[in-house]
Amino acid sequence: MKEDNILTVDDLSVSYGKFNAVQNVSFSVRRGEIFGLLGPNGAGKTSTLSAVEGLLKPQGGTIIVDGNDAVAKPLHARASLGVQLQSTSFQTELYVIEVLQLYAGIYGVPMSKNDLLGILREINLEDQATKKFGQLSGGQQQRVSLVIATIHNPKLVLLDEPTTGLDPQSRRQLWERIEAIRDKGHAVLITTHSMEEAESVCDRIAIIDHGRVIAIDTPQAMVDKHRNDPEVIAVSRRGKITLEDVFIALTGKAIRG
Amino acid sequence: METSIPKTSTILKTLLRADLTTQWRNRRAVILTLIVPVIILVSWKGLIPKLGGPFVLSNSITIGLIATGLMGYSNSIARDRDKGIFQRLRVGPLPAWTIMGSRIAVQLGMIFLIATFVFISGYEFDGVKLTTGGYAASYLTSLAGGLVYLSVGQAIVGGIRSPETVNATSRLIYFVFIMSGMFGELLLDEAGKVLHDIIVWSPYGTVKTIVAAGMEPAKWSNEASMALLVTFGYTVVFAFMGIRWFKWTSK
Repeated sequence: MKEDNILTVDDLSVSYGKFNAVQNVSFSVRRGEIFGLLGPNGAGKTSTLSAVEGLLKPQGGTIIVDGNDAVAKPLHARASLGVQLQSTSFQTELYVIEVLQLYAGIYGVPMSKNDLLGILREINLEDQATKKFGQLSGGQQQRVSLVIATIHNPKLVLLDEPTTGLDPQSRRQLWERIEAIRDKGHAVLITTHSMEEAESVCDRIAIIDHGRVIAIDTPQAMVDKHRNDPEVIAVSRRGKITLEDVFIALTGKAIRG
Repeated sequence: METSIPKTSTILKTLLRADLTTQWRNRRAVILTLIVPVIILVSWKGLIPKLGGPFVLSNSITIGLIATGLMGYSNSIARDRDKGIFQRLRVGPLPAWTIMGSRIAVQLGMIFLIATFVFISGYEFDGVKLTTGGYAASYLTSLAGGLVYLSVGQAIVGGIRSPETVNATSRLIYFVFIMSGMFGELLLDEAGKVLHDIIVWSPYGTVKTIVAAGMEPAKWSNEASMALLVTFGYTVVFAFMGIRWFKWTSK
């Protein structure tokens, strides 16, 4: 049902001068769903996400976030969003607890020092409260970034390649945290290069290439649908058809950017 | 139903607290910004009987203002932009102007601090004392002058994306302003009329003129009024350039 859609992107177009980075992209993300946006380098994933986040003004189309038009009322749309950017950085001189306090204030969530420490305790970082963000490990930084993205209980959480550079243990932990966000009824939009991540975490995925959406479905349904395609069989390894095989068959074997 | 957004005053308060904390944690840079004008003040003590207290104090304050705008403000903006700090802030429900507004408010506080330091040092080391009206007017003219250099700093980060190039450019302009402004005026007799006018009506010269005139408000002249107008003109032009060219990301 349309009322379950927290995000509706309809006929979105984003251009940089004469280059059309995103062309007529349409998809929706439902409440309580993890939706993955997959694509090769330069496919238009980040441009799509940037348009939803309000960092770019699209040349065409509509973006509706929790009933708010992201172009006409960007502040209201952003208030419903929680965002973790690909390379998130916070003010280097601030302690972790001060960064949390800053973003709680920006999103209008009043929090006492005890509340903030409680949040850090939940992610096992209470003892890092007075360390600077840059002093944390990669996994710890991702945990803090994710908790800041959800500090105001947003309807939609956007994660741009959240597990890049993480070791397997940290990655698994992050997946569990992302699933916990979904289980609380939030919608999650995640961009990823990792097929394993898409298959393990995403309820539905969209494959985007050359600025256009070329497939939308659940990971398993996408594999089942293309299992017998000659192009997919040709790129498969050891006879087992995976999502990665479908992805490569649909987007081509050439290395991008 | 439209999602509610936090009040702008709440957002500004939050940003200001973070930016002030950041400034405080950069104490070494702050102390350097405050010490240099005092060093100038002390080393030019011998010029006070000849050229007057306002001449020396105004030069000291102007040097501090240049450091704040060119070295402090522009470098911190370029560095934070390169790290993606502004992008992270921009995806929040806050108007873009509040992000820069908070930064500028902190720098205006620094300007107030510089002027205070120079006044106290001028009194302690050089025995220079102004009237109450003189101190009040000097604070105002220092703020007006500081805005010139903040806008020059904004123009630099607007036109240049690389933080290293911003740093180099800021240092170069700082050096040119200081050398031409401070020593150019002392050598005006030898400099020739054209150079004289360039130095006097440069951002350094006009700011120094209004800060000096503010210290003796009873002697405010037409030249000071003209300098004040030119100062506002510089602020408007450089601010326009800086805002128009500014990109929130260095990539």
